[in-house]
Amino acid sequence: MSHTAVIITVAYVIAVVIGSAISFAIWRSTTRPLDEDRAGTWSLRETAWLVVVALALFALLLGTIFYVPYGKTAGPDKQVVKVVSAQFGWQIDPALVRADRTVEFLLQSRDVNHGFGLYGPVDERSGDAGPLLTQVQIVPGRTGRLVWTFDKPGIYYVRCLEFCGKGHQRMDETTGGRIEVRRA
Amino acid sequence: MTDERSRGIARGLTLRYLGASTAILAASGLLGVVLRWSQAVPQARVGDNFWYAMMTAHGLGTFVGWGAFAVMGLAWWVLAGVGFPTRGFGLAMARTTWWLMVLGVAGVVVTTLLMGFGASWVFLYPLPFFGAGAWGAWATGLFSFSVLLAGLAIVTWCFGILHTVCNKEALHAVSDNVFKRLGVSLGWGYLMPRTFATNPKPVPYAVIPLAVIGIDMIIATLPLAGLLVWQILQSAGWVGDANALFAKNILWWFGHPVVYLLLFPAVAVYYWLIPRYAGRDLVAGHVIAIAWTVAVIANVLVWAHHIYLDYPQGTLQAQINTAMQPMTFSLVLPSALSLYSLGFTIYRSRFRWTPASTALFFGLVGWLLAGLSGVVNATIALDVAVHNTLWIVGHFHHMAMLNIGLLIFGATYALLPELTGKALYSERMAWVHVWTTFVGGMLFFGLWLVQGLDGAPRRWSVLPSQYDTITRISLPVAFVLAAAQLLFFWNVIQTVRGKSGVATFDERGIPEPAAPPRGWTAPMAEAALVLVAVALAMAFAVGGYLVGRETGGGGGTTVTVPAGGGTTGGGGSATGDPANGAKLFASSGCGSCHTLAAAGAAGELGPSFDGNPRLTEALVVARVTKGKNAMPAFGDKLSEEDIQDLAAYLLQSAKK
Repeated sequence: MSHTAVIITVAYVIAVVIGSAISFAIWRSTTRPLDEDRAGTWSLRETAWLVVVALALFALLLGTIFYVPYGKTAGPDKQVVKVVSAQFGWQIDPALVRADRTVEFLLQSRDVNHGFGLYGPVDERSGDAGPLLTQVQIVPGRTGRLVWTFDKPGIYYVRCLEFCGKGHQRMDETTGGRIEVRRA
Repeated sequence: MTDERSRGIARGLTLRYLGASTAILAASGLLGVVLRWSQAVPQARVGDNFWYAMMTAHGLGTFVGWGAFAVMGLAWWVLAGVGFPTRGFGLAMARTTWWLMVLGVAGVVVTTLLMGFGASWVFLYPLPFFGAGAWGAWATGLFSFSVLLAGLAIVTWCFGILHTVCNKEALHAVSDNVFKRLGVSLGWGYLMPRTFATNPKPVPYAVIPLAVIGIDMIIATLPLAGLLVWQILQSAGWVGDANALFAKNILWWFGHPVVYLLLFPAVAVYYWLIPRYAGRDLVAGHVIAIAWTVAVIANVLVWAHHIYLDYPQGTLQAQINTAMQPMTFSLVLPSALSLYSLGFTIYRSRFRWTPASTALFFGLVGWLLAGLSGVVNATIALDVAVHNTLWIVGHFHHMAMLNIGLLIFGATYALLPELTGKALYSERMAWVHVWTTFVGGMLFFGLWLVQGLDGAPRRWSVLPSQYDTITRISLPVAFVLAAAQLLFFWNVIQTVRGKSGVATFDERGIPEPAAPPRGWTAPMAEAALVLVAVALAMAFAVGGYLVGRETGGGGGTTVTVPAGGGTTGGGGSATGDPANGAKLFASSGCGSCHTLAAAGAAGELGPSFDGNPRLTEALVVARVTKGKNAMPAFGDKLSEEDIQDLAAYLLQSAKK
């Protein structure tokens, strides 16, 4: 798993546990029904709940908005890699890059929308692709740009992450989606 | 108020919508099981394009043909229940909707399963025109037309809903002005009682989400209809290419609100039924009207959260996407407030727990869980890790099946007796169905979340082998989930046939069980029989898989590459059957990457066959079998003979 996926997992599990506890409490509460009418109080508190939710979302917004993947620059020492995607394979040139030096991927499609999903590095013992590191969509007729720095040497796989037709599942490391990263 | 005649009209509408959508669920749900089965068991693997065609039919069928169609139908009965009769223009629209939807879904079934259209339910432009030999212009044109019919069904439904909710008498509105009446139906009377005056009482809460979605789906659907018309014209060759990025925006302009076409009518049902089972009014402050006002605006301004990872150079897409993260967050508010209201309506009430109300309650839990995973997707920085992985598939199945689906089941159990006058066939069968659906669904969809966090790509007919373990674990759960739905279908059919006599209701209008369940009843025996049958089928399937694996030669076909002795290079003849090779050339999609004028192929990714001096039989056989760089290996997909045939065809037909 990538770091982001780990964060999501932890946050989601905590949220689900809290949500489940509340659901369970509401379910069990019906075994001791209230005779007095408290609907008025609860309705008023709904405004407080609105504020709580809005603040929580605002905090999440502030905490994450600086990590959007847009508008990153690669710097003068960059390595430019051209990626051409087409039904159903990849052309990556050059497919050998150096670690710890920024890579600027310039991505194009010859036909339909594709998704550039970067996985790695390959686990040498199991042979499995590494975690999904980052991804970007490739729109036909446009040039996409993805800035990424590899910190570990090894073999990285590129898999298609936008449905592109009957060979979508073949757009992976066996059809050109392979990048080798070596120590600088 | 609704008189008996109006109730009869609404009853007829809701029953027709529910009947058709339940039938669609049976068919498209089955496709879902086959899809997962094909991923889990190599021996059960279907052809790649057929898998995608089934995926297209499953997506549109369950989401629109079942989920949306069912809640659209329930809306008529809810409106009648809160005093809004459907009549005149509204009724004509409601009836038109049914026909358009049924024809649209039928067209989708034909074009996907029979004509091979497999561009997924989002048919991301220009994919419909790049079928790679799997489908042609006719399929694209007819599919687009079918989806257009379903889209028009949504628009006519909206007109019917808006006509019904603007009914002056039912609203008790003071003003004749149609905009003021619409304002009343949106709940603005709670915020501005003078401008949106009613006499004597304000609008029932259940009306508000219906008015909201009635407005939004017209705004959302019309541009998509334009895109569909364009696709029809393009498939006929009358217009050229559209702008792909623009088309993507148009698609999601519709694609987000259509999710709420399922949710908002479902909320109306919750607002109406939960208070009935709780025996108290909906706990709601005026603030809920603010949330719905946010919803009516934000719902059509958040489409770009589906394309957060589209930001090609020289476009404004990155700015649009960034602006839409806070907009998307604001859409959490109506859900958060609704869950609060419904939660407190149940809290310490004399809630009557039946299969129906339990399904509704589980539906609320499903809503919460789907909402939480939705917040992850709505956050750009987090979306990078999960976009187009199976996490998304887990998220929207939580939403579609464990929120909307359970609501539809609960509403069916709650309302079928009052809609048909017949008692629910078996309360016990319903209990088993509701609990199995919730627990099985949590597990089955939860496994998708896990796979997605591990990077498993979505919409892959065959997943990379590293994900196989969880896929196989999930398969038995899928079978149990499907088996539980059989209980639902059987229960509904037997209820409609009147097997348990006339319905009776308690003082809150909650249907009473037909007979106190005692021990080993006939319905229980039937339920057990269904489960045993499914268990046996599963056992046979697993057994067959194991036997197949034993006798299948222990994995992989042994491929011997001819050592170049048989033929010499330079475009000589080869030993295979060129006619079969020609078929394989088309069916394997060679032409999408390679040029071969004889086959009308002009692919540019790989080397051209025409005028290629290096073309020899040995080279073709070696490359096709083992692959190289972008060229995939076909050694495990085509037999040795097939590859020889293909080589023969290429050598015969390539221009020298």
